[in-house]
Amino acid sequence: MNRITRRSFTALGTAGATAALAACGRSESDGAGTTAEEVAEGPATGTVTVWAMGAEGEALPELITGFEEENPDVTVEVTPVPWDSAHDKFTSAIAAGTAPDLAQVGSTWMAEFVGLDALEPTPESFAMDDYFEGAAQAVTVDGTAYGLPWYVETRLLYYRTDLAEQAGYSEPPTDWDGLMAMGQALQEKADAEWGIALQPGGQGSWQTVLPLMWSAGGAVVDEADGSFTFESAPNEEALAYYQSFFTEGVSDPAPAEGTTEQDFVSGRVPMFISGPWMMAAVEALGEEGFADQYSVAVMPAKETSSSFLGGANIGVFQGSENRDAAWKLAEYLSRPEVQVQWFELVTALPSLQTAWEDETVASNAKFEAFHTQLETAYAPPLIATWEQVASRFDAQIEEVCKNDLAPADALATTQSEAEGIGTGA
Amino acid sequence: MTASPDTRAEPQIPRGAGSPPRGRSRRAAGEARAGLLLSLPFLVLFLVFIAWPVLQSMIMSFTDMRISDIRTPFAVEFVGLENYRTAFSDPVFRRAAANTAIFVLLGVPLTITAGLAAALALDRGVSRLRSVFRIGFYTPVITSIVAVAVVWRFLLQPENGLVNTVLGWVGIDGPNWLGDERTALLSLVAMAVWRNFGTSMVIFLAGLQAVDRQLHEAAALDGAGRWQRFRHITLPSIRPTMLFVLVTTSIGYLQFFEEPFVMTSGGPLNATISASMYTYNQFGFGNYGVAGAMAYLTFLVIALVTLLQFRLMREK
Amino acid sequence: MIERRRPVITYLVLTAFLLLVITPFIWMVLGSLKSQGELLQVPPTWLPEQPTLDNFQRLFERPFGRYFWNSTVVAVAVTVGNLVFSSMFGYALAHLSFPGKKILFALVLACLMIPGLVTFIPQYVLVVNMGIAGTLPALILPFLVQPFSVFLMRQFFLGLPRELLEAGRIDGVGEIAIFFRIYLPLAGPAFATLGILTFLGSWNNFLWPLVVASSERTYTLPVALALISTGQNQTDYGLLLAGATLIVLPILVVFLFFQRHFIQGIATTGIK
Repeated sequence: MNRITRRSFTALGTAGATAALAACGRSESDGAGTTAEEVAEGPATGTVTVWAMGAEGEALPELITGFEEENPDVTVEVTPVPWDSAHDKFTSAIAAGTAPDLAQVGSTWMAEFVGLDALEPTPESFAMDDYFEGAAQAVTVDGTAYGLPWYVETRLLYYRTDLAEQAGYSEPPTDWDGLMAMGQALQEKADAEWGIALQPGGQGSWQTVLPLMWSAGGAVVDEADGSFTFESAPNEEALAYYQSFFTEGVSDPAPAEGTTEQDFVSGRVPMFISGPWMMAAVEALGEEGFADQYSVAVMPAKETSSSFLGGANIGVFQGSENRDAAWKLAEYLSRPEVQVQWFELVTALPSLQTAWEDETVASNAKFEAFHTQLETAYAPPLIATWEQVASRFDAQIEEVCKNDLAPADALATTQSEAEGIGTGA
Repeated sequence: MTASPDTRAEPQIPRGAGSPPRGRSRRAAGEARAGLLLSLPFLVLFLVFIAWPVLQSMIMSFTDMRISDIRTPFAVEFVGLENYRTAFSDPVFRRAAANTAIFVLLGVPLTITAGLAAALALDRGVSRLRSVFRIGFYTPVITSIVAVAVVWRFLLQPENGLVNTVLGWVGIDGPNWLGDERTALLSLVAMAVWRNFGTSMVIFLAGLQAVDRQLHEAAALDGAGRWQRFRHITLPSIRPTMLFVLVTTSIGYLQFFEEPFVMTSGGPLNATISASMYTYNQFGFGNYGVAGAMAYLTFLVIALVTLLQFRLMREK
Repeated sequence: MIERRRPVITYLVLTAFLLLVITPFIWMVLGSLKSQGELLQVPPTWLPEQPTLDNFQRLFERPFGRYFWNSTVVAVAVTVGNLVFSSMFGYALAHLSFPGKKILFALVLACLMIPGLVTFIPQYVLVVNMGIAGTLPALILPFLVQPFSVFLMRQFFLGLPRELLEAGRIDGVGEIAIFFRIYLPLAGPAFATLGILTFLGSWNNFLWPLVVASSERTYTLPVALALISTGQNQTDYGLLLAGATLIVLPILVVFLFFQRHFIQGIATTGIK
């Protein structure tokens, strides 16, 4: 009795399970490929469903009123999605075939979503040459563009100008040695407890280490054949440089979490490396006029000044029932004047170079530093398994910073772990 | 089928007064019918929304399924126990399993003891302000995990944290609780006990209603001490409740996830990574097959532990 | 003498313990009245230096009524469903014998032990195929029955004497009526506990409502809160704490309502 029940139950379940999984595949999935279909002429009509994250999702309806005026027969339905677990929502929707027509796509998701046949290739009529090089590269998987860069962000060196003055610096450092020396000088002459706040490994620390590798002329993925190249002299040099901040006592090897802003304002740790959002964060925390007590500078160089390029892209999803209108909306969002308007709404840095000529963006000196850095900022490798490889890399960086693991050993381990994971291709 | 074979087969069972064989059999049938009827609504929903998805996920753990296969499920290959082998040979997963074991061995007894002590104190020990204490002890359960994380991080901060400030008064130089490999997991155990004892408290409070108060009073008159009354009257009457709290707390802690997720991300140096959290990461990476295998390995351990607990509690 | 002194010690211990336990809760409520700048100060402040209702004002600029309604409908339905279905099944498991009982209980218990992560995608695909994704029923149906609930009710009914059943039979009460008329009225304490726990679980559920929602119209409070308080790179702590404080209030009300039933126990129903 027991056995029969179980067996028939299993058979029933298996049949049902496979049926359910089969039913979820998109009927249009044959259209997936590298040939981009052109967008039909004429104004957009029908309903376009859009997902965008957090504050962007909430501000987006205001941005697209212009689009709705140009195309009176279109309805755009924006659903704001919380950043927390947004990835879960997208992958579930792709799995079940319920993805929206158009969505904001995080830059580290691109390769994964393309691997899932979830995104449409960008039609030929879209020009890619006005985007920052790194931004255009961030939507290109295996030579084909999927979607458009929407807005960008990059990381700079934040430093306290007043304390730098005390330490004898009127200009920010321009090379690696200069940064180290300035950190030490701040500790010696400006009462700083630590010279610079750096993450001693752990989640996301690769975002600081990888640009250092680029700066030294290294790379972690071979552009030609897509193989991993963690083990190289420039990479080792970069990781050893990062390690030296902890061995020299310039950076705290066990910092409390979430205290970067306070430590910066109090002068306890007067330098850190981060993105544009930190300007508002430290100015909110500091007293009136704190904006004049600090500045931002492009990343100090080894061979080149390199930084991390983040931000978000616009993607049109395979199987969209209104792809023509979705692409027309994408085109609208990638006009320079709309990008400037977007900058005004949510302070998102434009991905189009021409948008930076506008007064609104160009008038702030600190933004100009971001502008300069954007020309040499690059997105992380576009491989589907990057997040997984990066988490192994983060763990090895932590060993280097906290346990004095030799950089060469860390890179060798990362290389073999990365090869075990593969590129998902 | 007639009633007679039944009664012949079980002659050793004494019959209740005035209950002829025919009535007994009819009653058994009625009881079975009632049992099935009462079970049916639950079971229908259960099979559709829980058992079926569980079955699919189990099949998944024996295939090489990745997130990219989800729209073409027939393309996956059955790989037998390969995913389970991968999980076993992963040093981080083994570390996660060891962390989880420590967490459970420390956390479960502490949580149950604290919950039971609070419930006993509120049930018998005090008569006034009962509901104030009851709500107070339950607030950690209902406080948002985000607020909890922020506050606990402040409390445990190495320089200005409340804990180290207090330790400083007595001349102890407190460690960097969450940043030190040796203390990070212990800190999370303390946090979990604090967060969860309220849940076991409310369950014990319900269970304690079954304790016979007259028996207590009689025993007290006979000179039985508090501890004796607790051991010989209270404990036996709340045994089903105790089993429930023990099993569910163990299951919850074997799947422990939220604390490292919001506090440490599994660090420093994997000192606080748990089996569930590592499984969650594998899901995030799209390795559905391996993630499924890890989840079912966790399930196997949970099932063994639960079985053991049922055995131990049923004896005596 | 001793009998009189004991409660004092008990009260002292309990009060000390209480203070220890409620600190983060108090901090959460006080924090909701602080500005972002003050929240990030080191060392942290206890009392707000410049109390402000700004966080709450910013919260109420949004359609919180709708989120609140969604959360309430879902939590109430899920709670009622669990109380009804689980008490029926739990009673059957505890006191009635019927074919397949042991296997069914083992199956239900096994599903309690399986980490919820693995069933997430199959459950979502199921809901999509049923055509209810993006509706409130999709937030309710999968949670109407939970292994935890049935386990709790079974254990509770096991703790009630079996003699009640026998007595009911002798009095000629029908099998199903015995449950509804004799056992169910005694389930107050268990209902109180299960009600609180289920309501809390449903009220705080985040991932499922987020993934299932196809528009903001079906967002629940935790989803809406996550939406407005966390950006890609920073968290608006003031808004978050204000939201967390508001979210807790209904739970407190539910707790106050149900906790009366802890006191009313078997003693008051006169069976013991």
